[in-house]
Amino acid sequence: MSQLTPDSKNELQGKRSSNGSGMSRRAFLGISAAAAAALTAIVVIKRPKPDETLDKGTESAVETEQFIFTSCLNCPTRCAIKVRVVNGKAVRIFGNSNSPYSDGKTCPRSHVGLQVLYNPDRFTTTPLARVSGRAKGNGVDLENDFERISWDEAISRIAQKLGSISPEKLLMLQGLNTNSNEDLIRQFARAYGTTNLFHEESLEMAADVEGKRMADGRDNSGYELRSENASETSTKYILAFGASIVESEKPLARNIHLWGELRRGTPNGSKVVVIDPRYSVTAAKADQWIPINPGTEGAMAMAMANVIIGEDLIDHDFIDNWTTGFENFKTVATSYRFSPEEVAKITGVDAEVIRETAMDFARSRPSVAWSGESATSWAYGSYASHAIFCLNALVGSIDVPGGIVYQESPPYRPLPLDVTEGGISFRELADLVRNGSVEAALGFNSNLIMSVPSTKKWNDALKNLPYYVHIGPAMNEMAAYADIILPACTYLEEWGYESAIPGSGYAEARIKQPVVSPLYESSAIATILYDLATEMGSPVSDPFMAMGGSAVGFGEEFVRYRTETFVSWEDFRRDGVWVGEDYQYYKYDEIFHTPSDRFEFKSTHLERLLNVSLPGEDTQRPFMMGIYRPVMEMRSGVQNCPWAQEVFLVMDGIGWNNVVEMNREAAERMGIGDGDEVVVESEFGEIEAEARVRQGILPGAAAMATGQGRYASGRWADDIGVNPNEVIGIEYDEESGQPSYFSTRVKIRKA
Amino acid sequence: MAKWGMIIDLDKCVGCQACSLACKSENNVPHGSPHEWKRHQDLYWHKVIAVTEGEYPTVNTQIIPMPCMHCEHPPCVNVCPAKATYQRGDGIVMQNFRRCIGCRYCIIACPYGSRNFNFKDQADEEYDRPDLPPDLDLSYVGHIGPWPYPRRTRGVVEKCTYCFHRIDQALEKGVDIGSPDGVVPACVEACPAEARFFGDLDDPESEVSRLLATRNSFKLREEMSTHPKTIYLPR
Amino acid sequence: MQLSFTPIKGTSRKYKVLVAVLAVLALTGIVAYMVSYLEGLRLWGINNSVSWGQLITVDIFFIGLSAGSLVVSSLVYVFGQERYKPIGRMAVFMGLLLMIGAMVCVLTDLGRPEKMWRLFMYGYLSNMKSMFAVNGIFYAGYIGLLVAYLAAALANSKLTKVIAPVAVLWAILVHMGTGAIFGFIETRGIMYSPLKPVEFISAAFASGLALVMLLSYVTLKLGKRPISKDMYVSLGRMLIVLIIVLVVLVVTDKLTHFYPPARESVLFLTQGPWSWIFWGMQVTLGYVIPLIILCHPKWGKTVKGIMIACLICVIGIFGERMGIIFPGLSQPLQYYPGEIEGVWGVRGGFPIMPAETLMTVGIFSLLGLMYVLGLKFLQLLPTAGSEGTADEGSEATAEQKALAAEGGTT
Ligand SMILES: Nc1nc2c(c(=O)[nH]1)N[C@H]1C(S)=C(S)[C@@H](COP(=O)(O)OP(=O)(O)OC[C@H]3O[C@@H](n4cnc5c(=O)[nH]c(N)nc54)[C@H](O)[C@@H]3O)O[C@H]1N2
Ligand SMILES: Nc1nc2c(c(=O)[nH]1)N[C@H]1C(S)=C(S)[C@@H](COP(=O)(O)OP(=O)(O)OC[C@H]3O[C@@H](n4cnc5c(=O)[nH]c(N)nc54)[C@H](O)[C@@H]3O)O[C@H]1N2
Ligand code: SF4
Ligand code: SF4
Ligand code: SF4
Ligand code: SF4
Ligand code: SF4
Ligand SMILES: [Mo]
Repeated sequence: MSQLTPDSKNELQGKRSSNGSGMSRRAFLGISAAAAAALTAIVVIKRPKPDETLDKGTESAVETEQFIFTSCLNCPTRCAIKVRVVNGKAVRIFGNSNSPYSDGKTCPRSHVGLQVLYNPDRFTTTPLARVSGRAKGNGVDLENDFERISWDEAISRIAQKLGSISPEKLLMLQGLNTNSNEDLIRQFARAYGTTNLFHEESLEMAADVEGKRMADGRDNSGYELRSENASETSTKYILAFGASIVESEKPLARNIHLWGELRRGTPNGSKVVVIDPRYSVTAAKADQWIPINPGTEGAMAMAMANVIIGEDLIDHDFIDNWTTGFENFKTVATSYRFSPEEVAKITGVDAEVIRETAMDFARSRPSVAWSGESATSWAYGSYASHAIFCLNALVGSIDVPGGIVYQESPPYRPLPLDVTEGGISFRELADLVRNGSVEAALGFNSNLIMSVPSTKKWNDALKNLPYYVHIGPAMNEMAAYADIILPACTYLEEWGYESAIPGSGYAEARIKQPVVSPLYESSAIATILYDLATEMGSPVSDPFMAMGGSAVGFGEEFVRYRTETFVSWEDFRRDGVWVGEDYQYYKYDEIFHTPSDRFEFKSTHLERLLNVSLPGEDTQRPFMMGIYRPVMEMRSGVQNCPWAQEVFLVMDGIGWNNVVEMNREAAERMGIGDGDEVVVESEFGEIEAEARVRQGILPGAAAMATGQGRYASGRWADDIGVNPNEVIGIEYDEESGQPSYFSTRVKIRKA
Repeated sequence: MAKWGMIIDLDKCVGCQACSLACKSENNVPHGSPHEWKRHQDLYWHKVIAVTEGEYPTVNTQIIPMPCMHCEHPPCVNVCPAKATYQRGDGIVMQNFRRCIGCRYCIIACPYGSRNFNFKDQADEEYDRPDLPPDLDLSYVGHIGPWPYPRRTRGVVEKCTYCFHRIDQALEKGVDIGSPDGVVPACVEACPAEARFFGDLDDPESEVSRLLATRNSFKLREEMSTHPKTIYLPR
Repeated sequence: MQLSFTPIKGTSRKYKVLVAVLAVLALTGIVAYMVSYLEGLRLWGINNSVSWGQLITVDIFFIGLSAGSLVVSSLVYVFGQERYKPIGRMAVFMGLLLMIGAMVCVLTDLGRPEKMWRLFMYGYLSNMKSMFAVNGIFYAGYIGLLVAYLAAALANSKLTKVIAPVAVLWAILVHMGTGAIFGFIETRGIMYSPLKPVEFISAAFASGLALVMLLSYVTLKLGKRPISKDMYVSLGRMLIVLIIVLVVLVVTDKLTHFYPPARESVLFLTQGPWSWIFWGMQVTLGYVIPLIILCHPKWGKTVKGIMIACLICVIGIFGERMGIIFPGLSQPLQYYPGEIEGVWGVRGGFPIMPAETLMTVGIFSLLGLMYVLGLKFLQLLPTAGSEGTADEGSEATAEQKALAAEGGTT
């Protein structure tokens, strides 16, 4: 892919002169053989470099300086941040200390936002339209396969297309987007009349959410890590089932901050136990690491329930008054099949360890059992998630300080159209795209092709998508399938609002303000939607008009429309955040939205949790491939960020790469050494990558970091590492239709 | 005079590397590339290392963030022929780019790999920061704006400065240094786990002194008798 | 016995070709340097672990040879051993050239050579605690002394007797100082040793002597000048002693460090990835083979045998220099006990990069050029008529033959 050169920087260049530069770096002023140097044959070349810059007086070149509050979008946590803007250039990102959610702390990726904004490979032109007849997919050349069209032209072409198809034939894809943009996308979809809204978050979260929903009928439960000097309410015990709390698990910045407080804050610190086939950063930092056979977490949770019920360590008050189905659950859990000894056979965790963990968990209250997305990306993922969630109910950790809380959201002014349904599942998406019932698709900040399992299989389907409009700030793999590319702003150039994701309980709204005006020709997603809707006219434009839209500042107006009911515009802009009332615990009479209005223990499917296949069972493909997100994976930055790349895998001291992590003993048996090239082969595909032989991983498992393996995402991302999704298989969770990412069996051999 | 020191609590630290990135961002340290990474020619003022011991399943990995240790007896100062590396009265080991001749002797002498040589011109314009004030004579405290490095000087050795610019500015303005609302180095400020502390080791009232008095602590490579002022609290 | 010295004519085609080739190579080196200077030292093999590379290796090699040459010259000018007189002037000249070569190496190795004057500020702007700055004084003084020494020797001046001992003592200082640059660095186990300065000077004597013997022989041979077999045989004896002293020092040093607990560096040196340098070059080529040849009842008595021993010894001592820089710097620093993962714990690598290699070749060529020109313009070589026979080593290499043919026309 060739780059459109950013001709940009013009305005910056004007200001740069204050520093006396205009340095033609390589200027070569002459060679003079000085008398003394003649002796030693040294050639003195006048280098126009350092001193000319350095010896400029002591004046600061800062002309204007601003600190602008906005919010981060390098992962779904959406932390409040503060950006220092000097002479019109964003130079530094800090946390916003007005935000109690993470106490003004941010994770490392927040700093890298500068490189998302000033990504050298951003679209620098007006919209691009595919020259008809040019092939889609890998190998697209922006210069030759696309022609520039004006924004007006692009909007009217899309409007025409959308006007000409029946609404249910439109598919809308969403990657990670600002909350306010998500709301607008849904308004647009509703007004237009399509329900085919796919959220890439549901690629992994759906099963986990589904399992919890079975119990409480809600999808906004979160783990409140609580750290306070009054130690009874501080979280005492954290049991993480595949949740890498300090590496990826949302809300990351908040987790890390509270981790620090929990470790030293309370008199004895809280205990953390990590159940993960891979020795993750979280496992390394925890008190105990329990390696487990992938996919057997549900069984492990049930065995723990077996012990907790057997030892009568349950919270009778809560269970008797606020739950249903406990008797059946108890019968299943206490059956012989879920005894620690039996479960030990499939989990690979000693019965004694299971027993101890269960007792500790039940005795050190408040305790939480936290299910990560990975532990539940399984065929029976929802049930596993349910089983793990039930552990919290057994020990009464529901809606108590330091336990499970239900996230409140800011009291936004209602949207004109009521949109409740969550969109389609991955299984439905796959069916839609495969059987050709999509006539047009809009992708908002999407990189679907990189995120779906069995990436290669999607190539043909996406190539045959009749009309795809890609909306995003920079070239990526998805854009290669586009018929029209609309250069969008990054999160640092647009208006919007974000709400706190589950974790704190109390609500927090965060403003998003442009820290610099949109670079190049890019436009905010809010503006794009507004333009498209007005171009299409009523009824599509109705909700946009209702929110007071004027052509010039719709993005800003929309945010005011939604938030002015609870926070004054001046305060919101000045503080960057609005924080709701303190969270009220123990609201058992209102929090459960199940048919019974109680916490529901389900038992009918729990037996299936024992019905798992284990690593090594398939002798052809003895390894189970697991995938994780290292802290430096930039979700919306697509890794085109050198700062993130340099320190990509901290546990392995590896940058600019991702590797196949294998247990040392297992690797030695196959004659694979650290750093060897290996081929990982599954039913679905084959990849070649570097092996990393380490002690910290289950012998039957292999792990790989996601985020790498891009081929069209820019100079710092392309051809670095491989995308593990190429070998991941497609199997769906029964309840949620989520793909199961972790059940893929692979064979590993030396290349 | 104060004696600045840093404390890193390894129990709180989660190896997130926010410190490394904040340092790059604050001090405009150029980024590398895959090629330079392989060749070990990229620049870091701060690194986070992982050290593993033991065998599956009882492995133990320590994750250790490493800025410059600002040794009390710094070998790098001893060996620098040009007085380009020197120790300030407040104990900060500084690097004067204008004096440095690029002999790299200090890299060889530093027991902590804290020093990196600048092998190239800054490549990308976006990291060329005209907004930053020029490199000042380091004895001059009265400069405005907290960033000393608008552009890089190739051919010299660089290292962590304990963010001296922040400290000097705070001293000048009379702002407290090291306390929760005071001024601290960028990496300390950015640490989401609040695992890092900065302050005056000579002041018995300071947070760092209090931590040293009440907790176990250790220094890296104590056998080198460099007496680091970056001190760790073990897990 | 009265010796007279005359220059060579240097008018033959072969001589001119030789000069031209050396000049071109030296020029290539200069261009390589200019490119490196403009592009940054990223063009070289050096990096943040192995931050000294080819040039510093060559530098300390040259310094050693220079000090060694001076010691040979001292036999004549200090101890008045007349039989070594034929090679006296050449030894002084080589001492000067090699030192210049060494200085070219250090100074071009700097990241910012335009600031090199800071090295020679003698405490005013330089730090006299740094062995590097101390050596700045040694080096500058040394070059001055050498120029004076050479001038005096060429003029057959009485002053020679005065300058010579000072120069020789100074050479020893220079070389011990250079050893101290390495020996004082505690963090690099392979370098760190109180014996380093002594070991350096001892290696310098051995290699310097070997080089003077070798070069003078080749020059005399090609220049069709008289060659004294006895002189070389007795110098060969001396070489035996020097090598044995060196071996004793090295064994003492390594054995001390081999003793637990802090033995990682010696293990790294002797068993690590660079052990071929230690065993193959330093020990085998530097010590064992030369000793075998020199002590051999027959080979040790023939000029040819001695010359081969000298050549191998010089190469071996070059290996010893490499053995300080490369293993010394690539041994990972153990920040914390345990296995340091990935890039922060890997051993440093050192790729052979074109720019740096061309510079190395260029510097060698530059010295060669200066030497060849020196032969033409200075009265360095003894004329025929002195004692000794001139018919050893009849089977010269192809290159030597070419040169011999040329020498015939001088
Ligand atoms: N193997 C495997 N696959 C997985 C997962 C897994 O664990 N394992 N996880 C799944 C999960 S949970 C998720 S959430 C998905 C993530 O899947 P995606 O949402 O597809 O992930 P991103 O890589 O964040 O893609 C977002 C795109 O938005 C663009 N973008 C970046 N910044 C901005 C901006 O500021 N504004 C706009 N308009 N666009 C921007 C970028 O071009 C980027 O390509 O992946 C899923 N896929
Ligand atoms: N740094 C970073 N953070 C992110 C993101 C990012 O891209 N980068 N993306 C965000 C998004 S969209 C999401 S959905 C979340 C997801 O965050 P998490 O829920 O934490 O998910 P992962 O990081 O995919 O995996 C967490 C751990 O599960 C382990 N694991 C893998 N397979 C299994 C298994 O079968 N059983 C068990 N018990 N463990 C297993 C992995 O080794 C890994 O340590 O992260 C969010 N935070
Ligand atoms: S946790 Fe996510 S939103 Fe918060 S700072 Fe990190 S990347 Fe940004
Ligand atoms: S920022 Fe803090 S928690 Fe993160 S690696 Fe650095 S010291 Fe550790
Ligand atoms: S850690 Fe290294 S660079 Fe820092 S003061 Fe000590 S010796 Fe000098
Ligand atoms: S490289 Fe610079 S700072 Fe380091 S020793 Fe040489 S002159 Fe001093
Ligand atoms: S103290 Fe400043 S210079 Fe040193 S590592 Fe921290 S941020 Fe970097
Ligand atoms: Mo996600």
